[in-house]
Amino acid sequence: MLTLSLWAAIGPLGFVAQADETPRLTFAQLVDSIRANFGVTQAISSYNGREVEIQGFIIPAGPPDLSFFLLSRVSALGNYCCEVPVGQDETVYVFAPKGVTIAYDPLRVYKVHGLFEAGMLSDPAYGPSLFRIRNARVVEAVGAKIFKVGETGK
Amino acid sequence: MTTLTVAVKYLRGRAVASALTALSVALGVSLIIASVLLARGIKDGFVEGTTDYSLVIGAKGSPAQLVLSVVFRMDVATPNILVRTLRYLERDPRVEVAVPVALGDAYQGFRYVATSPAYFAPFPWRRKTFSLSEGRFFDDEAPDRPTYGALLGSEAAHRSGLRVGDRFYEGEEMAEYPLTVIGILRPTRSADDRAIFFSLASFWGMNEVARKMHVKPLTAVLLRARRMSDLPSLNRELNVSTETQAVFPSAVLLTILNLLGVVEEALAAILAIVAVVVLLYVFVSMYGATLERQREIATMRALGARRATIMRIVLMESSTLAVIGGIAGVVGGHGVAGFGASVLAARGVLVRNPFAFSTLEPIVLVSVVLLGALAGLVPALLAYRTEVAENLAPLS
Repeated sequence: MLTLSLWAAIGPLGFVAQADETPRLTFAQLVDSIRANFGVTQAISSYNGREVEIQGFIIPAGPPDLSFFLLSRVSALGNYCCEVPVGQDETVYVFAPKGVTIAYDPLRVYKVHGLFEAGMLSDPAYGPSLFRIRNARVVEAVGAKIFKVGETGK
Repeated sequence: MTTLTVAVKYLRGRAVASALTALSVALGVSLIIASVLLARGIKDGFVEGTTDYSLVIGAKGSPAQLVLSVVFRMDVATPNILVRTLRYLERDPRVEVAVPVALGDAYQGFRYVATSPAYFAPFPWRRKTFSLSEGRFFDDEAPDRPTYGALLGSEAAHRSGLRVGDRFYEGEEMAEYPLTVIGILRPTRSADDRAIFFSLASFWGMNEVARKMHVKPLTAVLLRARRMSDLPSLNRELNVSTETQAVFPSAVLLTILNLLGVVEEALAAILAIVAVVVLLYVFVSMYGATLERQREIATMRALGARRATIMRIVLMESSTLAVIGGIAGVVGGHGVAGFGASVLAARGVLVRNPFAFSTLEPIVLVSVVLLGALAGLVPALLAYRTEVAENLAPLS
C-alpha cells in the first residue's frame, strides 16, 4: 500500500522530469555551431539522433499537410520592417511523415519536437539543408521567446 | 416465434408509421454522412490538387485570389505582371525553376492557361506527373512564331468533345486565332484537368493588348528554389517590390482550411441538433406505439410472456428501425455526397473521393443503433411496467 502511494505520488513527477529532459535547442546555438564548409561543432553534432525541442515560426514551403515545412527564427509574414529573413543557418527543415494538424498561423511561435540531425544533407525532394528534425510533433508555444545570436535561454 | 420476428410483425402492423420513422433516421444519417464526406473531400481535394512549387509570384493584391486563380482556377485572375519578373527570377542563382503562367479567357468554361513546357516537366521533386493520353506537348515558341497548338486537360477534352486535330475558338474576336488540339493529358486529379494549355507565344498572339506590348504580360510565376532555406529571402524581396507579391501556396491553403475548420465546427453543432431531433422522433414514435398497444401487451403477458421479453421486443423494434434507417442513411449519404461532388466539380471545386468508405460509416451505424435502442428504452420500460389486470379490463 505504501509502495503504491509512493508510486502514485512520485510517478507524475517522474513523468514531468522526463518530459523536461528533452533538450531545447535555440537558433542562436545553431548559428554558433556552424563552421567552415558547412561543418558543425561537435557540441551540436552530439544531439544527432536525439529527441530535441526547437521553437520558431512555421514557413509552409512544402505540402499543405505540413509533412514538410521550414522552422525559422523569423516569420515569413508581417515583420518585414524589423527583421531580415534568415538563411539556412537559422532555418530547420522539419519532416513530419504523418503531417501536422494545427491551426496554422504565420505569426505564431510553435514548439517542434523530434529527432535532430545536424550536418549538410541533400534531400531528393527538398534539397540541401544543414539542420533537420524528423518525426516531428508540433504544438503552439504560448508566450515563447525566440533567441537570436548572442542571447541565451538562461 | 423469436423476439425479432414478433418485433418485425409489430413494425409491419404499423407499416406507414414505421417507414416514416426509418425514413427520418435515414435522412438524418444521410445528412451527417454527406456533410462529413463533402467537407473531407473538399479539404482533400485542395490538398491533393495543390501545386508542387513553393512560391507563387503575381501582382500586388490578395494572396488568396492569386493562389485560387493560378493554382485552382477558382477566382478571377489577379492583374498582370511583366515578363521581366520571370527573366529576373530565371537569372537568380537561388532559383531552380521559374515557370510562367498567364490566365486567359475560357472555352466552354475551361480556362485558357498559357505557360512554358517546364510546367509539365517531370522534375525529381515533383509529386504531380503529367502524361499524355494522346498527341504531344507543345514546345517553347518564339514570341513572334506562335503555333496556337492547345493541350487539353482530361476533363476539358472529355466534356468539350474535342479531339486531337480539332480547331476551336470561343467568341467572334477569337475566330482569327483558332486553337488546334495537339494533345490530351491523362487525369491529374487537380484543376489542370479542367484547363486548356498553350504556349505564351500563342497567348500573346491571341491577345490584342499583349500583341502591341513590347514587354509582354504574365499572370504569375511558379517558383522552385534550389535551397528551401532561400525561400524566405526570395519571398521578402518579391513582396517589398512595388510590383509583385510572393505567396506560399500552402500558407494560403492552410488559412482556407482553418476557415473550413470553423465552418465544420458550426456544421457539427447543426448535425448534433439534427441527431437529437431524429432521436426524439424515434422516441415519440415508439412511445406512441407502446401506449397504443398496452392492451396487446397485457394479453401477451396474460398468455405467459415475461416482462423482460416484452421489453426486449420494444427495444428490438426501435433498434430494427435504427438499423434500417442507418443503412439507408449511409447509402443515401454517399449518394448525396456523390451528387454534391459532381455539382461542385462542375463549378471547378475539387472534391476528392466523395464515395470513400472509412471508419466513419461503422461508427455512425453503431451509434445510430445504440441511440435507436436508447430512444426505445423509455417505451420499453413502459411496456415492461404494463399491468395485466389494469389493461385487460373490459372497454366500456
